[in-house]
Amino acid sequence: MKLFLFFIFITTVLFGSTPSNNQHVKNINQKNLIQDDFDDEFDDEFIDETDETTIYDPLIKYNRAMTQFNDFVFIYILNPTAKGYSYVVPKALRKGISNAFHNIAFPIRFVNNVLQLKFQNAGEETSRFLINSTFGVFGLFDAAYYTFKLDEHNEDFGQTLGFYGVKSGPHIVLPFLGPSNLRDAFSLVPDNMLTLVYNSNLTYEESLYLNTFYYVNKTSLHLGEYESIKKDAIDFYPFIRDLYEQKRIKEIEE
Amino acid sequence: MIQHSISKNIFKILVLLSILAVNAQAINESDIAKQMQSKIDETTNLLKNKDIAFKDKTTQIFETFDSVFDYSSMSRIALGKQWRKLSTKQKKSFEKIFTLKLKQSYVDKLNLYTDEKVKIEKVEKIKRNRIKLYTKLIGQEEIYDIVYKFHKSKKNNDWLIYDVEMIGVSIMKTYRNQFKEFLSTKTFDNLLAKLKTKTQ
Repeated sequence: MKLFLFFIFITTVLFGSTPSNNQHVKNINQKNLIQDDFDDEFDDEFIDETDETTIYDPLIKYNRAMTQFNDFVFIYILNPTAKGYSYVVPKALRKGISNAFHNIAFPIRFVNNVLQLKFQNAGEETSRFLINSTFGVFGLFDAAYYTFKLDEHNEDFGQTLGFYGVKSGPHIVLPFLGPSNLRDAFSLVPDNMLTLVYNSNLTYEESLYLNTFYYVNKTSLHLGEYESIKKDAIDFYPFIRDLYEQKRIKEIEE
Repeated sequence: MIQHSISKNIFKILVLLSILAVNAQAINESDIAKQMQSKIDETTNLLKNKDIAFKDKTTQIFETFDSVFDYSSMSRIALGKQWRKLSTKQKKSFEKIFTLKLKQSYVDKLNLYTDEKVKIEKVEKIKRNRIKLYTKLIGQEEIYDIVYKFHKSKKNNDWLIYDVEMIGVSIMKTYRNQFKEFLSTKTFDNLLAKLKTKTQ
């Protein structure tokens, strides 16, 4: 399977790309043949699809501005709120809440595993949901992992589309939600329709509160990480764009 | 009391010496998982110890890992094609500052450490001179895949780490892309200056 994916990847890089990209690859190959005899053993490995020349980013101006907006929201609103919240609420409870949120999102993972023909994973997700909803007290504890060593199999509709060969399209930074691309942003709609919140009769305002709570709780379990990642960047926007696209490619491969 | 503290110190020195003795050795192909496991365990135990100052912990951690990280190959990978255009002096100064940057970024991540566990999953030889070590970091909320990529050094046949991949993101790739983009509009000296401000 891996070999097959690798083959697909090579063929898309070599033949499937636009003429200019193709030219780019050819140029590199030619250059390698001429200058590089045995010098750079690492080059092949690091020239690939996430090369910044091939990330499609026509919205770069908007994306940069939106990244700045999100950064502002994070630094001045979300992060301080999450910090305060983490002082008040013990970690074990925050972890439990995070588990419970994850648990009720089960339909998304189930449907997308099935759509990608990963039936065993879909089955394991079902077992996880049943075990955690009962023994795990409404999903507060990940009993399925600790007692039965059942791993999570996160899949979303963006990954499903990627599985069937849909390309990511232009990179788009979403307000509040952060880096995404056309394929993944569109995929939020069907995934959202599978959530319990969407199917319950909560008002728009109530579901907004619930979502906010979800993000505050999540951030409280990842304090300091954003700042640390930000420090690694030479230029923040292309850096997190790269992180996002590399991560998605990996998730779709799996 | 005095005697007790002396014996305690001697014990510390012995522990330190044994750590150094282990690390002076290069890693063999068959030992990669075992050696890395012991290095990782050492590190997590150290991080959990509340009696040692964070600064001392980091020095000790680098003593543990410096012998397996190939900072010079990493510098070369990060710069890509630009590397060959540099003079020996430029290469040296880049390597120095980039190594510092990598270490600082690593320390920064260690600072976030709470009670995560690291589990070694498997070792995979993907080529004659490439090995991947798959590990899992059991985090607070999720489990992260971390892959250490080793290559066989041409100098002395040691197995050294040239890249680390976390949840599918290659650290070297992100630097390589960043430097490439930076150098498309600015000079190499600008890059050095930028890295200097980033490592202060």
